[in-house]
Amino acid sequence: MPRFYQRSPVWSLAVVLLTVSFVRADLSTAEEFFEKEVRPLLVEHCQKCHGDNKPKGGLRLTSRAAVLQGGDSGPAAVAGKPDSSLLIQAVRYNDTPQMPPRRKLSDRQIAILTRWVQLGLPWPQRTGKATTERNETFQITDEQRRFWSFQPLKAVTPPAVRDTAWVKSAIDRFILAALEAKGLRPAKPADKRTLLRRATFDLTGLPPTPEEIEAFLRDNKPDAFARVVDRLLASPAYGERWGRHWLDLVRYTDSFDARGLGGEMDCAEAWRYRDWVVQAFNRDLPYDQFLTDQIAGDLVSSPGGINRDGIIATGFLALGNWGGGDADKEKLLTDIADDQVDVVSRTFLGLTMACARCHDHKFDPISTADYYALAGIFFSTHILANVGPKTNGPPMLRIPLLPSAEVEAYKKAKKPIPYANGAQEGGVPGSPHAGTHDVRIHIRGRYDRLGPLVPRRFPEILAGREQKPITNGSGRLDLARWLTRPDHPLTARVMVNRIWQHHFGEGIVRTPSNFGKLGQPPTHPELLDWLALQFVRSGWSIKQMHRLILSSATYQQSSEAMPPLYPPQNKGNKGEGDPDNLLFGRMNRRRLEAEALRDSLLAVSGRLDRTMGGPAVRDFAVPRRTLYLMTIRSDRSGFGPLFDAADPTAPVEKRTVSTVAPQALFLMNNPFVLAQAQALAKRILAASTNDRARLEYAYILLYGRPPTAEEVHIGLDFLHRAGESERGWVEYGQVLLCANEFSYVD
Amino acid sequence: MREPIWTINRRQMLRQFANGFGMLGLAGLLADEARASSAADNPLAVKAPHYPAKAKRLIFLFMSGGPSHVDTFDPKPRLQRDNGKPLPFEQPKLVRTRTVNLLQSPFKFQKHGQSGIEVSELFPHIARCIDDICVIRSMVADNINHNGACLQMNTGEQAFSRPSLGSWLLYGLGSENQSLPGFVVISPAQPAQGAPLWSSSFLPAAYQGTLVADLNNPINNLKNPQFSHERQKDQLDTLRRLNDLHRQKRQQDSQLNARIASFELAFRMQRHAPEAFDLSGESPATQRLYGLHEKTTEIFGKQCLLARRLVERGVRCVQVYHTQTARRSSCQLWDQHGGLRTELPANCAATDRPIAGLLYDLKARGLLEDTIVLWGGEFGRTPTAEGNDGREHHPFGFTMWLAGAGIKGGLVYGATDEFGWHAVENKVHVHDLHATLLHLMGLHHERLTYRHAGRDYRLTDVHGKVVRDILA
Repeated sequence: MPRFYQRSPVWSLAVVLLTVSFVRADLSTAEEFFEKEVRPLLVEHCQKCHGDNKPKGGLRLTSRAAVLQGGDSGPAAVAGKPDSSLLIQAVRYNDTPQMPPRRKLSDRQIAILTRWVQLGLPWPQRTGKATTERNETFQITDEQRRFWSFQPLKAVTPPAVRDTAWVKSAIDRFILAALEAKGLRPAKPADKRTLLRRATFDLTGLPPTPEEIEAFLRDNKPDAFARVVDRLLASPAYGERWGRHWLDLVRYTDSFDARGLGGEMDCAEAWRYRDWVVQAFNRDLPYDQFLTDQIAGDLVSSPGGINRDGIIATGFLALGNWGGGDADKEKLLTDIADDQVDVVSRTFLGLTMACARCHDHKFDPISTADYYALAGIFFSTHILANVGPKTNGPPMLRIPLLPSAEVEAYKKAKKPIPYANGAQEGGVPGSPHAGTHDVRIHIRGRYDRLGPLVPRRFPEILAGREQKPITNGSGRLDLARWLTRPDHPLTARVMVNRIWQHHFGEGIVRTPSNFGKLGQPPTHPELLDWLALQFVRSGWSIKQMHRLILSSATYQQSSEAMPPLYPPQNKGNKGEGDPDNLLFGRMNRRRLEAEALRDSLLAVSGRLDRTMGGPAVRDFAVPRRTLYLMTIRSDRSGFGPLFDAADPTAPVEKRTVSTVAPQALFLMNNPFVLAQAQALAKRILAASTNDRARLEYAYILLYGRPPTAEEVHIGLDFLHRAGESERGWVEYGQVLLCANEFSYVD
Repeated sequence: MREPIWTINRRQMLRQFANGFGMLGLAGLLADEARASSAADNPLAVKAPHYPAKAKRLIFLFMSGGPSHVDTFDPKPRLQRDNGKPLPFEQPKLVRTRTVNLLQSPFKFQKHGQSGIEVSELFPHIARCIDDICVIRSMVADNINHNGACLQMNTGEQAFSRPSLGSWLLYGLGSENQSLPGFVVISPAQPAQGAPLWSSSFLPAAYQGTLVADLNNPINNLKNPQFSHERQKDQLDTLRRLNDLHRQKRQQDSQLNARIASFELAFRMQRHAPEAFDLSGESPATQRLYGLHEKTTEIFGKQCLLARRLVERGVRCVQVYHTQTARRSSCQLWDQHGGLRTELPANCAATDRPIAGLLYDLKARGLLEDTIVLWGGEFGRTPTAEGNDGREHHPFGFTMWLAGAGIKGGLVYGATDEFGWHAVENKVHVHDLHATLLHLMGLHHERLTYRHAGRDYRLTDVHGKVVRDILA
């Protein structure tokens, strides 16, 4: 008798009773035992869910063969071995799953099932055979293969258009052709002031200065705007702006939890990754390298010894959100790999591969095998020093940013060694995943229900059935090389769409991290391909892509739509135009994001500290750019969340724009805003000696345009009512900062 | 506490509490306003539920750290009998540290009310309300540590970022008071994990919970430190004129309108919101009811009283975390790895009277008819001893309770085995609890979805069953 029974008096009693009744009823055969005791039990308590029709967990308890075959979690029973039988474990409620889920069976019933398994699962022949052909094979249909985003990039000729005079670049042909087909026409060109304000915010996240406005208005050369774009792209503020867009996508945070701020379980070195991202944008690091460094920078050799930047770049993999201190270390490791599969697939591929963690993707042709083939790469990588004690979270890996010889020298000299949070080869040391290896499919996402081993490889729909097995370490470098192949159908499309999105407020694909079936199809598929090909051909230059987009008439449109050309008559439109601006027949008006709003407040007050980089700043009052303010996952009480800054716990591909009263309260009453209003007032008062000229200056400084006569009138009236000049200007300056015009870019 | 005011109805209450009327009038006005504004302009506008519901509001009393079930609401005579003996069956693989010997509860249980439900001597006041309470003794969760378990209890997911229960409620129903945040979290200290517990995650940020950590300064930016009310009024009038000019020069744009409206609302909010958070207007009797007069109960009493004031004003969801007592502040107050005989009674003493006071007060004001009160933590504690005066984390079977709108009072639902280890009867998983709460609020947990990252997400993921047996 198993030890289990010996320890429990209740159990022993039940077994004895059962044995007694078994004997007394004179059930001569095991089959009769089945019919009298087991079958009624199965029917009453099990087969409702585990019958022939849509069985839960793929498990049918309708025949001996079906029991032996089992479900998703493997065989339900091993004949003769109750203790090794999942069925028995489940009804004993020892561990999950606990069955039946609503109520534990009585001890007697459990003893019956145990006995039945012990007897070898007798089940009279006539009552059934394994009818269960389980649909295990995952197949990609032709329709799925033909899905638009999996097709190779097509070289397309920009279409012909009627209004050729409007066209400034090839982009415009794609846009105009679609508008003309619907009887629509593009908006008028934006005026120079509007265009400059728009481009300056777009590329640097700051308003243009009065001097910059003046210079652009005076410059009548045809390439005046192109030179503005070059100036903005060369500004260090550009990397700070576009770096932040990237940080949204990669769930960047400066700290996991305020309680462990800067400790060994925290990502205390995250700021180095942030600075690397900013610099990568500023030096126009080609996107293929940018991508490669983040996935496998530690494996890219560098001529000068260790690849410091490459190690820092792998912070991308380390800054994940996987719930900290889980006692279940095996689950922790699968959660980390899942976070990495998720961020890599959504960010670079525009695919939601994490959906296939527990089951084949319901909408896209991605199987659990595809998932675990990719996950194997990340199971063979570690970002933790070790898994940590069961009672606490794991310590983060801290990689010295020095050649090992120097580390010793630093230690001797007691110099602080610079470290990075990043990724290294091999699963977490000391864990079951140490080293590099393939992993088994985790049935229903559970590490304790393992299916077949899958070799590390890339998703079949994109990389085909026949793939060279990965033998080169974890496979991260192979992954990066595969993603950056010039003929990859997704990588370039996804990235140019993101760039477009940040210039227009919406992408050509409006679900920027989902190019799958449930995503939106592109409004301009040919334009998307054309841009993607330009991107690859330019050597993956992001700055070139900005130039290309900003030089188009499409970008330079006003945000005011033109009425349709031939309203009701035209078949393509019924006079309603294009209210959602799906065709980009005007610029979308956009509200300043949290960072741009705070940075602008500081910029116009003259207090903005342009120091770049370094550890994050915790004090909100420090006038550094908002990018450098500390984000802590456990703290969502501050300014950022109030103004829809990215939630640092998950990849954010598009920020929500909410308009709520607490935002207004912030601008009305927060000491930070009042301090900026004060500094702004001083600046305005110093600019001139009379209020009319001061109003002119204030409008140029804040909105990039002079005030109208009516606005001057309103302002002078207010100042008069306010009485004392400086106080009046503080109050009025704040009104101007609160106005819609300050927060929106046309 | 003994006066028979249980029978007071809403109208009588209005007569009795003079300040109540003005407040309800205002709440009504603001609710009308919320209904009038459309969801396009205002994410917090009131939305119709999927079906008519009894419950409109939720108060979730969260005993941070994992309160012991076998010492509070789940008596186990067998533990008494087998005290010191080893647990007679295998423990699940997923235990945090192995605890071996059974530990009897040092506290006595007694039957209470007409229902005769047994409650520990640690909760004498709550025990008196037991006939309004449905005790679920068969809760099950999946995570063994605070972070993951707190996350699951609040969002349904153990590791990744998902919208919280309160955010889903706000997304599904909007808020009945546009001058106050629709989802308020009152927690003097940070509970495990912090903000992800009340995060809106991928839902719009407007649905995130607003944390009130400092009861003396509950909401930021409500008062201008420099300008007089008159000057600020002038500022806002002028702002309106400038915004109108700006708008006139542009085509119709709802976001510009919405932002103009937000300033006007903000101006009203700074007049009305402080009143909602001001407990000084409460009568001495009410303050006593919540235990504000005693040091032990003062902090949590204030939290509970504030919760009542907020739900009374139409706030959709209030979460009250017990994270501070007069003696200490901790994210895991109820984490009795040790100190079972001292710390657990201290926690109960700090919360018993305030919670009973809350139930009593809600009932007296007629608010319990459409408010759900939920009590519990992220998990229970092992029936086995850790050291000689403690218990380990225990998600395999534990207790939570509900009272109020749509709930059968005086009911015990589900059971753990005779040791209090496994839930064995009518198990209620966290997902089931969530499905039930949404159901009570008029929302179908499978229909309340949000499209994100390629699929429709739900609070209950692919799980959850409404526990119909506890519905009135």
